[in-house]
Amino acid sequence: MNGWRAVRAVALRDLRAETRGGELIPAMTQFVVLALIIANFAFDLDRVSAPRISPGVLWMVIVFTALIAFGRAFAADRENGSLDAMLLSPAGAAAIFLGKALAAVVFMLVIEAFLLPGMAVFLGSPINLEVVAAVVLATLGMAALGSLFAALAARTRAREILLPVLVLPLWIPLIVVGSRAVEEAMGGGALQGQPLPLLLDFDILFVVVATLAARFVLDD
Amino acid sequence: MRAVLGHDLTQTYGAGPVLGPLDLELEEGEHLALLGPNGSGKTTLLRILATLARPATGALQILGHDALAQRQLVRPRIGYLGHQSGVQPQLSALENLEFYAALYHLEPERARAALAEVGLEAVSGRRARELSRGMEQRLALARALLHDPELVFLDEPDASLDVTARELLGRLLAGRAAVIATHDRALAASLCGRELELGAGGATRPRLGTPG
Amino acid sequence: MIRDTRTLRLLALAAVAAMLVAAYMIFIYAPQDQVQGPVQRIFYLHVSSAIAAYFCFALVLGGCVHYLVYGNLVADRLARAGALVGLLFTINCVVMGIIWAKPIWNWDPTQTWDARFTSTVVLGVVYAGYLLVRRFASPGRSAMRLSAVVGIIGFIDVPIVHFSVQWWRTLHPGPIIEQDALPAPMLVAFMVTMVCTVFLAAVMVAIRYRLELEQEARVLESSASLELLPQR
Repeated sequence: MNGWRAVRAVALRDLRAETRGGELIPAMTQFVVLALIIANFAFDLDRVSAPRISPGVLWMVIVFTALIAFGRAFAADRENGSLDAMLLSPAGAAAIFLGKALAAVVFMLVIEAFLLPGMAVFLGSPINLEVVAAVVLATLGMAALGSLFAALAARTRAREILLPVLVLPLWIPLIVVGSRAVEEAMGGGALQGQPLPLLLDFDILFVVVATLAARFVLDD
Repeated sequence: MRAVLGHDLTQTYGAGPVLGPLDLELEEGEHLALLGPNGSGKTTLLRILATLARPATGALQILGHDALAQRQLVRPRIGYLGHQSGVQPQLSALENLEFYAALYHLEPERARAALAEVGLEAVSGRRARELSRGMEQRLALARALLHDPELVFLDEPDASLDVTARELLGRLLAGRAAVIATHDRALAASLCGRELELGAGGATRPRLGTPG
Repeated sequence: MIRDTRTLRLLALAAVAAMLVAAYMIFIYAPQDQVQGPVQRIFYLHVSSAIAAYFCFALVLGGCVHYLVYGNLVADRLARAGALVGLLFTINCVVMGIIWAKPIWNWDPTQTWDARFTSTVVLGVVYAGYLLVRRFASPGRSAMRLSAVVGIIGFIDVPIVHFSVQWWRTLHPGPIIEQDALPAPMLVAFMVTMVCTVFLAAVMVAIRYRLELEQEARVLESSASLELLPQR
């Protein structure tokens, strides 16, 4: 479908810009490292307590990192006039939104690829495939909502306050289910209640809703 | 068919009016200069005409389509250059244009050709943030005209252009209809056949020059 | 929805009278609960507030959707009025719920966040988000449109939050703060209180709507007097 070409073009542009000298990934990486250090001391982690505390640390770090990542998704393009230029093209607001959300997902996945092993090494958290799956699925849903509301908050005077206020309640379902899945996966038991398919359902819902809402938020 | 036909256009900020009511007509191929002090609503008007903002009231027809109800039909045929350049600073000049070429379903070679048209082939590989202000503005112009629009809206394009680039502007706009906001009355006179003057607070006192 | 001041004043009086009736029902008519004691009487207003809050939710949701689809200013104003009143009732409901729960169950904070409580708090936060976006966005169509998006997506989220916490609780059970089946007099008291509270909410929305209308008119007047007269 023609729209996908635009989505890909927008996503690649953001990714390319970031690899060329973006500040986002270094900043997020720094944040993750510091968060792990603080967690280690604040929670007084040791071999025994680490598996129990790890899920909480994981989700706190992901939430705050995500707020940073998505908060920047649209700000630059609004400021340098690129968003206007993109809206005038045949691409359409939905494709632009999806492209930017996709790039934001990739940024988050890069950070998570650093965070999860980091937790395994420094906090002794048991990271396995199910943990990774839960984190990735939750990230998709968070990206859809986070990118949309970042774009929305960028159009107001109080961008930094509004983004968390708007998006954290929306992320609750993802975090509730995701953290349960991670807790059980880290505990070594089987996942009860089908959290992974549930996360996928949430993702589909949130991606569809956010994409439909994109044109009201990005365009006049 | 008229390029632009606007009737009773107004814009508000909150409940307060900032533009209009205003009527506007533009023939195909005609250039209209938009004059007026800062705050008179030139940018506001251009954004409305470029379908980037909806007016509070009024009707607008662009290139035969209802610009309010059929925006997606109008947009591929118009070009817009606002105060910002619309280029991504980390990407090269060529990459920036290739991006827009992809969005407009154009061949990538079109990007290279557009760079040549504005005299930037030599710096096609240079990152946009390393370009001088004049070059960046030329790049922005190339972007706005990449898809060969019949109608363009330019918001103070002369602000960062050097003298040779102004001649370039005249050449590039030949054959297209254009609405150009500017403070430079000499430029307005050389490029445009008609002028529209906005007063402070958005009131309009149209002043028709001799049609060119 | 534009009512003149006299009608609104009468409605306000009627609402006050209704709440007095409800107070009578709660404190005098309804018998005291044998298990929970006098604290149980909070339940009537607590649940009624919740119902009023969801009534406002429906107004806000309906208003937001209608505005996005038809651009109707009345719908937007209704949503705005409903959001403020809804927020008040949500806060009221949550506070009363906390007061009610504490003495009964020696309230364990770690068990507090059941599905209903969480989703009600989220509802309040969504209302607050709606009003904040209203306040901080560019006034006019931008504020209306953006807050409508917040309203719609936020409110879609509330049942999802409820569902997800419920899902979580089935694996992590805690006490359920419930009211057992009501004997007849209590049921009557509850129904009356509910009707009166929703009526109060509706009147508050109408008054708020009117206030918003008047404020808009005032802003319009003050800017018109400053404007240079338009010419063609």
